[in-house]
Amino acid sequence: MGTKKLGSGEPVIRFALLDEVLNLARANSLWPMTFGLACCAIEMMAAGASRFDLDRFGAGVFRPSPRQSDLMIVAGTISKKMASAIQMLWDQMPNPKWCMAMGNCAISGGPFEYEGQYAIVPGADLIVPVDVYVPGCPPRPEGLIQGFLALEDKITGGENRNLLRRFHRLGGKKKSWLG
Amino acid sequence: MAEQFRKPVVDQIYTLNLGPQHPSTHGVLRMLLDLDGEYIVKADPTIGYGHRGHEKMGENRTYKQFMPNTSRMDYLSGMLYNHGFALAVEKLAGIEVPARARYIRVICAELNRISSHLLWFGTYVMDLGGFTPFLYAFDDRERILDLLDRVSGSRLTYSYCRFGGVARDVDSGFVEGTRSFLQRLRSRFPDYHSLVTENVIFIYRTRGVGVVPAELARQYGVTGPNLRACGIAYDVRKVEPYEVYDRFEFEVPVGVNGDALDRYNVRLAEMEQSCRIIEQALDQLPPGPYLNEKAPFRVRPPKGEVYQAFESARGLTAYYLVSDGSACPYRCHIRVPSFGNLHVLEEVLKGTLVADAISILGSIDVVVPEIDR
Amino acid sequence: MARLNEVLEKLRQILPADTLSFRDPSRTGTSCCARVGLDRVREVASIFARGGFFLESLTGLDFQDSKELVYHFNTYEPGARVAVRVLCPHGEAAPTLSDLFRSASWQEREVWEFFGIPFAGHPDLRPLLLPEDADFHPLTKTFGVVNAYRKREEIYG
Repeated sequence: MGTKKLGSGEPVIRFALLDEVLNLARANSLWPMTFGLACCAIEMMAAGASRFDLDRFGAGVFRPSPRQSDLMIVAGTISKKMASAIQMLWDQMPNPKWCMAMGNCAISGGPFEYEGQYAIVPGADLIVPVDVYVPGCPPRPEGLIQGFLALEDKITGGENRNLLRRFHRLGGKKKSWLG
Repeated sequence: MAEQFRKPVVDQIYTLNLGPQHPSTHGVLRMLLDLDGEYIVKADPTIGYGHRGHEKMGENRTYKQFMPNTSRMDYLSGMLYNHGFALAVEKLAGIEVPARARYIRVICAELNRISSHLLWFGTYVMDLGGFTPFLYAFDDRERILDLLDRVSGSRLTYSYCRFGGVARDVDSGFVEGTRSFLQRLRSRFPDYHSLVTENVIFIYRTRGVGVVPAELARQYGVTGPNLRACGIAYDVRKVEPYEVYDRFEFEVPVGVNGDALDRYNVRLAEMEQSCRIIEQALDQLPPGPYLNEKAPFRVRPPKGEVYQAFESARGLTAYYLVSDGSACPYRCHIRVPSFGNLHVLEEVLKGTLVADAISILGSIDVVVPEIDR
Repeated sequence: MARLNEVLEKLRQILPADTLSFRDPSRTGTSCCARVGLDRVREVASIFARGGFFLESLTGLDFQDSKELVYHFNTYEPGARVAVRVLCPHGEAAPTLSDLFRSASWQEREVWEFFGIPFAGHPDLRPLLLPEDADFHPLTKTFGVVNAYRKREEIYG
């Protein structure tokens, strides 16, 4: 069990069953913010187009304004010049909000991270708290959809109800209960 | 008596920050617009939000290691950039390319050009407010991506070209798939024309908007469809033919006025011409090796330099490589067309409405990470 | 070919013959390469400007003994690309071409921020791609991780 630390943005009063319903609603209508920085943006657009159709997951409504979105998909390389803008956009998003690092550049700097790199921030999690990492250069739209589904699981706590799902995600290995 | 209630008219210039995060800036572009009401008085594009240090990486990577970088500069013309880089290094190092590989490269490059123009078409009309053509264009584009995925393994950032040929041969499935795709695309062009080109709202939003005079285009080094829309038929594939482009019959479409409608028409006509090139290349595709087996594994070109220009989807792109005889370039400079294409907006946006500015910016077809390199 | 020949004729008149070298454009990309001193850059560039050329690319090279600016001028004719190379000793400024070619204003800003070569007379010399407060010049061979730092004659003889 353990104690839960209250971070900023977590609700102070919890309503049990109502929370679960709200989380289900939030997970199935994630509104991403159009935040394409580089090549991954094109695959994000392709995921929103008709072949891969993010709309069937409720996530097809890309909002340009951070104030109207609840998911920031960092798609592309973060240059040092852009880092402060990312921080500002994250702060402008209202709670509850989530962040997805799409592509190798947003995860760890990707193909541009080398010893002498002076221009990029190697990874979005150095600036904003990332919930889901979607690897690939660029990830296929199916990969992005898998990222969405993983995020939905995280929001609804699906793995708490369906332990077999967690078992499969961890590659068939038992998670150590020592923490 | 009415005079005492009349508020004084204050002339004020309002600075509006467009970007770097905005649905229609095609990458991370920031424009500082000085507005007088709704009219733009001054436009200052600020770039660099996608700067990744490609040129410095080029000096620290071997020629082979730099190939993935080339796709990621202009990710919509990834195959074209690979192609140009392979040509540059082959020229520098004196590596021969078999005929079959040349034709395969041309076919893949022209498919990439069509996919880039399709994406531009979809996003441009989406910027103007029409969402449906975006879905049509992406549907056709997915078929091209499937074909290129089949040969190269990747949908967007291919590293398909090698020094001396290509990485993998094309099979009959690719050839048949390309032919049926061309048939399908040609049957879709009437849809695009009836949906968009003849749409009166689209015409009002693009005719006479963002006129770039030919002299201004020369001053700013504008190339590609933007220059051809001004009436100058300059296409690197015709003027400095590289690979096997001199063996194909195709036209270079030009516009008249240099406005957004002309740029749109030129790009749509270019898609048709690319279809012609692909057809002829498929007909002429010779059997043989797809890679020069004798090409050195570790490429160390002799000391010297090369300036290889080619026509990417956005205009004249060039690699300027300086070799000091070692495995890494001494200098790797890339001349990108979007640099001049964006710069000309400083002049063109003066006196336009903000809504027209979005239309002009979309019609120029910039990919900002290639400017930022 | 008309524009190129006109311009080459004018160049031949003002530049000494050993600074002009002609080569096959299909092998190297340029049909002619002119080596010009810093003091004559504007004169040469104005010949290109009046001749209907555009400034295709401007870049720098960093060697141990000096820096070098490489201008590529082109026009809408086949085989018309001309390279102009200007040796620019470390720390010296180059003249600006932004009144002759409007694209030069951004190209020179880029060379300034990456190589540290200032352009005298430039209306607005501030970083273009790097952050506004950047005080380093990344493409010089004294910054960051560098593979090789050579003298000019090691490459060009």
